[in-house]
Amino acid sequence: MTPPRNSLMQTLRENWLPAAVMLFLILFPFIVGALTDSSPMGVARGDRMVMRGESVRWQSVLIEVFILGILAMSYNLIFGFTGVISFGHALFFGLGGYILGMFLEYTGMDTGLAMVLGVVVGVAAAGIVGLIVGFVSLRLRGVYFTIFTLAVAEMCYIFFSRWQVTNAEDGFTIGSLPAWLDPTQSRLNFYYIALALFAFTYLFIRRLVNSPTGAVFKAIRENEDRAQAVGFNTLNYKLISIALAGMLAASAGMLQVILNKKVGPEVLGVSYTVDPLLMTIIGGIGTFNGPILGSAGLHLLDVFFRDATITIGETSIQIANLWGLLLGSGFILVVIIFPLGIIGTWQRWRLKARGRIAKAARPDPSMNPKTEP
Amino acid sequence: MSAILEIRDIHTFIGQFHILENVSVSVPKGSITVLLGRNGAGKTTTLKSIMGITPPASGSITFNGQSLVGKRPYTIAQLGVGYVPEHRAIFRELSVRENLLVAQRGSDDFERKADAVFELFPDLKRLYSLPGGNLSGGQQQMLAIARALIPDNHLLLIDEPSEGLAPVIIEQLMAAIEKLSAQATILLVEQNFRVASKLADRFVIIDDGQSPISGAMGELIGDEALIRRYLGVT
Repeated sequence: MTPPRNSLMQTLRENWLPAAVMLFLILFPFIVGALTDSSPMGVARGDRMVMRGESVRWQSVLIEVFILGILAMSYNLIFGFTGVISFGHALFFGLGGYILGMFLEYTGMDTGLAMVLGVVVGVAAAGIVGLIVGFVSLRLRGVYFTIFTLAVAEMCYIFFSRWQVTNAEDGFTIGSLPAWLDPTQSRLNFYYIALALFAFTYLFIRRLVNSPTGAVFKAIRENEDRAQAVGFNTLNYKLISIALAGMLAASAGMLQVILNKKVGPEVLGVSYTVDPLLMTIIGGIGTFNGPILGSAGLHLLDVFFRDATITIGETSIQIANLWGLLLGSGFILVVIIFPLGIIGTWQRWRLKARGRIAKAARPDPSMNPKTEP
Repeated sequence: MSAILEIRDIHTFIGQFHILENVSVSVPKGSITVLLGRNGAGKTTTLKSIMGITPPASGSITFNGQSLVGKRPYTIAQLGVGYVPEHRAIFRELSVRENLLVAQRGSDDFERKADAVFELFPDLKRLYSLPGGNLSGGQQQMLAIARALIPDNHLLLIDEPSEGLAPVIIEQLMAAIEKLSAQATILLVEQNFRVASKLADRFVIIDDGQSPISGAMGELIGDEALIRRYLGVT
């Protein structure tokens, strides 16, 4: 018999950290509310709630973390688990946002119906565009593929920056949203919707990567030719990976435009490719928790320190003026100290501590010193 | 015995180099056939030509009556040709389980297949969740062969399984390969003539990109002049 499957208790024991984090995130608005004496629902003004107060502010911060986390996890699926480096991930993020926004603002449909159709069409379109871009470009390898994806994403950015239908560079605001989803009416509802999508993305990618399909993704990442010799049409698997990642990134883009209630070409900007790339590298490429740690870490640092001022004697330094420089220096330091990302390096250290790597590094008694010194 | 694999007059180039010139190999069904020859003679290129990794420029390769020429490596693998490359080519970052899992095709019962593999290589069961890169050389070689057993392959191409391994591990591997021959036809590349002569029914000598001599292994064992000429051993 193969080693037995994990029992429920064992599964819980192995996943106590994600489960604890999830519980914390569910309770988070109320914890902040209790600590700061603010209501998670906002402030009552007459018969309506105004989205003010510390709890609401921190809900917004975490919604942004969830959005960036979904984007980074989706990027990690193609980059970290399949080994395909794309510079066009913003294309999917922006496409999802634009399609949902256009359904809500341009079709004249009932808001609920426009919402449902916008989500379905947006996610499907991202998947189809992923398949098309992948089919054309995945025959190229390495840097050629990367440049191709960057070119396609930039083409879309330029197109939407000049398309008068969507107000070119100005973009358009989303005025009509279902009340249950509108973050200006209930931030708490939207917080839990974003959290649900965040948790779904995490579980979906974990399940996928631990499935036979995920094993093929990882095999392609390690050695594509070898994966072909085992019997896999690697192009098909890379297409699956890029289409699924595109669909998840599109859903993150939808959350972004709902949160901001605005769609503009900035959602197609290269920063939505570079940011998840950095978040994944810092957190740990090809790990489940790395992109989450990277996105949460970078965004929270941004929130805490971007507007801070350091005063030395009579000199005041605005961190905002140095933010890019500090971020770049921090990135270089992290890459030097944690070459596999924070989670990846920690996992390697843990393995070393258990002596597995040390054992593997010892002379192997099965090797013949005469033939393989 | 009818041939499961028939290679006729193939010419294979790698870049501008003409590696195989008129190589012909016939592999009878159910046999263990070994490709013998010196380093750089073209044995590995012959296996790679069969798999479509270095496709032949001319000549024919038929497997179970079906032409393999022009087919992609994954199509050839899907037809039932398992390939165990040299240098213990496992996926080092994948666990033992995942290494076996990637070899699964269709709706095969993976657990049952894995159990059958563990009967042949009991060590792998113990190492099930370890990354392949952490296994010893012999264990990696066992894993590489085990991976080719998960799908129902009719023909196994095994390249230098004994390379760099201690004699005691080679013995274990050869015993496993002998057992395998009950399930699949085997085409083996092996430098170690002593090992090959114990295991194989038939031989094909590859010399300087050609295949001058083939026959039953018993004939070769008795012909010391031939062994010395083509293999440089006595």
